[in-house]
Amino acid sequence: MPSSLVIGAQWVERITSSAFGDKLSASNRFRWALLTYLHVTGTDRGYGYFAPNVPAGYKLLFELHYPDGRVEYELPGVNSAAAGLRVTTLLDEIGRTRYDPLREYMVKTLAASVWREHPGVKTVRAVFGSLNLPSPTEFEHGKRPSYDFLYAYDFSLIEEPVKPENH
Amino acid sequence: MTQWKDRLQVFLFPTETDRWLGLLRIGLGLQVLLYTLSLRADWNYLFAGPGEGLIGRALPEALLSTESPLLPRLGWIVMLATRTGLSESTALSIVWWILLFAGGCLVIGIFSRASAILAWLVHLCAAESGGFISYGVDNFMTIGLFYLMLSPLPDRYSPDQRWRKLPSKNPHLLGFFRRVLQVHLCLIYFFGGVAKCLGSGWWDGSNLWRALIRPPFNLIAPEILIRLKYLFPVGGIAICLLEISYPVFIWNRRTRGILLICICTMHLAIGLTMGMYLFAFIMIVLNIAAFGPELGLAPNEKLVRATSRKN
Repeated sequence: MPSSLVIGAQWVERITSSAFGDKLSASNRFRWALLTYLHVTGTDRGYGYFAPNVPAGYKLLFELHYPDGRVEYELPGVNSAAAGLRVTTLLDEIGRTRYDPLREYMVKTLAASVWREHPGVKTVRAVFGSLNLPSPTEFEHGKRPSYDFLYAYDFSLIEEPVKPENH
Repeated sequence: MTQWKDRLQVFLFPTETDRWLGLLRIGLGLQVLLYTLSLRADWNYLFAGPGEGLIGRALPEALLSTESPLLPRLGWIVMLATRTGLSESTALSIVWWILLFAGGCLVIGIFSRASAILAWLVHLCAAESGGFISYGVDNFMTIGLFYLMLSPLPDRYSPDQRWRKLPSKNPHLLGFFRRVLQVHLCLIYFFGGVAKCLGSGWWDGSNLWRALIRPPFNLIAPEILIRLKYLFPVGGIAICLLEISYPVFIWNRRTRGILLICICTMHLAIGLTMGMYLFAFIMIVLNIAAFGPELGLAPNEKLVRATSRKN
């Protein structure tokens, strides 16, 4: 992109960021009002769906380790296709998160949901990977979608209560 | 200066019938019904509290509080319900039924205003509390329901209007709300188009290919898609041009019909080939309500409009 365009875009970004209260403190009343307005009108997000490019997808796989040495594999699951699209959004959120503790918390929460379905499990290993899509030419040459390893988390469930209390 | 002011006034407050509002109400009512019914089996699982469900609403609601404590959320409704002795699961089920009821009322056209407010508020709570699982369809439902709630309801097609024998709405006010929706759609498509033009993948068609083979949107086998690979660059460029030129061609009466058909076809194709039925439906509803009514006007109504423009 031409440097003049980049400078112009950065200038616009500074102006809009100030206008939307990004530089105001979190407790600023004006910022509250502005963000509330943006959320309730549905204008809090941009409209660049699948833009500028279609992002990589993500996959989360749980390895369920039982006390007898048995290992099962599980994906975060829902009952309907409509909810399935929402799980995809959630995995995209996890993949985009740059803050490690937040990512770990989200994966841990998902692991807990799988664990509730399999209460006999001893440990859970969550493996998070990004989807590697072939180009049309690569596909013609035999390459198929694959996953690149990104993170793995081990959760021990022995000391966890069987069903966490709802506070 | 006065001339500009007059022009602006004519642009913002055109004379309008409530036909578009009837379309928007019924369309959004159907959308709310489809949204609730499609999530019936997973509703409590998706929006459960801490220690329950898929991801829970605790984290998104905590993040919401850092943005603004005023933002509505499911946690408020659940808290109110649990104070009356109801369980969280029952409270969430009641929320689901309320949303279904509001959607049904919107489709039929009874308690139109109250139903629009209820649908907007409850859906907003769900969208905000499920922040990590919300996507484009929730954004557009919020936008549509927000405008519907503020628009001069009820429209003449709803039983509300007939039963209560309400006077006709101010045609300039009807025109204003429709204009706001029209301008908003123009901004959405224009910026969506600009953002797509910045990605190289839309010019060589690889983004279309990626979108169609990426799980869970891979409804069509790649072995079939690959036979159409020469169409991907054409399709990618067409989408960019269609979106970026939307604000130009949608205002011209000669090009409006064809552009609207192209845009609706694009959304229909997205819905059918990628399984994003709800997203496709909401976009088609918003487009038809904003720019569609004139295309199917009865001859006498066209005549009335032409006369009012002359005056």
